[in-house]
Amino acid sequence: MDGRPLQDVQQPNLLKDIFPHTIPPRIRFEDVIEETIDGRVAKFDPRRVIDRDIHVTDTTFRDGQQARPPYTKEQMTRIYAMFSRLGGERGVIRETEFFLYTKNDRATIDACRELGLRYPKITGWIRAEMGDLRLVKEMGLRETGMLTSCSDYHIFHKQKQTRKEAMAAYLRVVEAALESGVRPRCHLEDVTRADLKGFVIPFVQRLERLTEKQPEHMRVKIRLCDTMGFGVSFPNVAEPRSIPKLIWRMKEECGIPGERLEWHGHNDFHKVHVNGATAWIYGADALNTTLFGLGERTGNPPLEGAVMEYIALKGGLCGIDLSVITDLAKYFQKEVRASIPANYPFVGRDFNTTRAGIHAGGLRRNEEIYTIFDTRKLLNRPPRVAITDKSGTDGVALWVNEFLGLKGKERLSLTKVVKIQRWVMDQYEKEGRLTAISEEELEEQVRHYFPELYARAKSRA
Amino acid sequence: MKRDEIAERVIRVTARELKTNPEQIKFDHHFAHDLGADSLKSIELVAAFEEEFDLDLNEEEALRVQTVGGAVDFFTELIPG
Repeated sequence: MDGRPLQDVQQPNLLKDIFPHTIPPRIRFEDVIEETIDGRVAKFDPRRVIDRDIHVTDTTFRDGQQARPPYTKEQMTRIYAMFSRLGGERGVIRETEFFLYTKNDRATIDACRELGLRYPKITGWIRAEMGDLRLVKEMGLRETGMLTSCSDYHIFHKQKQTRKEAMAAYLRVVEAALESGVRPRCHLEDVTRADLKGFVIPFVQRLERLTEKQPEHMRVKIRLCDTMGFGVSFPNVAEPRSIPKLIWRMKEECGIPGERLEWHGHNDFHKVHVNGATAWIYGADALNTTLFGLGERTGNPPLEGAVMEYIALKGGLCGIDLSVITDLAKYFQKEVRASIPANYPFVGRDFNTTRAGIHAGGLRRNEEIYTIFDTRKLLNRPPRVAITDKSGTDGVALWVNEFLGLKGKERLSLTKVVKIQRWVMDQYEKEGRLTAISEEELEEQVRHYFPELYARAKSRA
Repeated sequence: MKRDEIAERVIRVTARELKTNPEQIKFDHHFAHDLGADSLKSIELVAAFEEEFDLDLNEEEALRVQTVGGAVDFFTELIPG
């Protein structure tokens, strides 16, 4: 093994091409990925993701609502408008789907349409039943998802059908949709637990033949539904759990191009986000998501995570306004009155809060050391420190300076705030405290030790 | 300020902050190893020196000083004689 000599450089190598800090870190691929399928090596080129029209689709108002009490019309309309702002003019958040069953569902679609926003486009979600299709037609929607379950768990045990009966029933509704000018999007429910060669591929091939003479905007879309979160992202995993193989079969055996392929995951095995991103890089252009990942049981790919992944893969913001993610979180907690776990990425109370003194010390010297990107600028969320017996004088200095809004040479040094740190440590060592110091308590200390700066900060606020 | 006066004041402040008898403090005493200054006490000590000598110190430079004699040298250089 050849030894590599130490390069004792004069300037740090901060790898800014990958970690620019002004945007989320980039993901760069260096070569193709190989997957063995039917004894042959299939090649996928993840570098193409930069040029492909990958995008995010949303099911917050459908799958998302299966995990919580119904949203009001006003709430959905506000969230819809924020999705539009988040995804920008290029429509990174391309579509969102709605139930059509209640008056509230239908009134919400009308209210969202009245906003006149280009994106996200509004689509429906129905069971593959004629009665449900009527609702789509009545609402004048141009596209609807329809539930076409494809594992034998569903066909035999839930629907009490044979495969032939199930396929015939699905095709009838798809044909009726086409006759009505509604684009069908077939949701292959439970596909990661289905017999691919015995049912899924024959069914999708039939679907493709059914719409091959249709204009492009009417050709069938396929949503790959990993209903129970069984999908696996690793190379060379056996079917039906392999996401790479599933996408390859859709494209190569069924003729469905990436533009008409979508991934819909669930988080039962903690794989939901990476599985979604895997589907993107292996060739499905659409990634179906919900706000904060809320969805049936363990949830779906989080929309805000997909947006971050999009930026990482594309290498730029592409018109995305990330600050809307913070607005959505505030709205969600204040108006919808739902909670977000404190450690939840990008929006949780503590996502960029450090409690360790050594991290606080790093943050105080250079924010880039312990921040994932410029969260202050991109998310309107400056890095923060929570004060405990572990946060150290560095932590107190960071907290006090942020609270007082001090910049540059104005910022208070460790020696100026050390009396507050002594008070903090006395709380734990002398008073036997076990909880974190509250913001109110710290504010009181700042008022006591820095009355003029405190008054100035308060008047500014 | 003369070096002797600086030394006397450094020892007095050190003894007060680290709760030690000033007569037992020697120039080669290490603040952490010999006098028990942990990281918080070290910062408190620097703060006390700032107050004693009416200075705004560069805290990183000040915290690099490790011995009593080093502190005397540090302030002798900073404060005109």
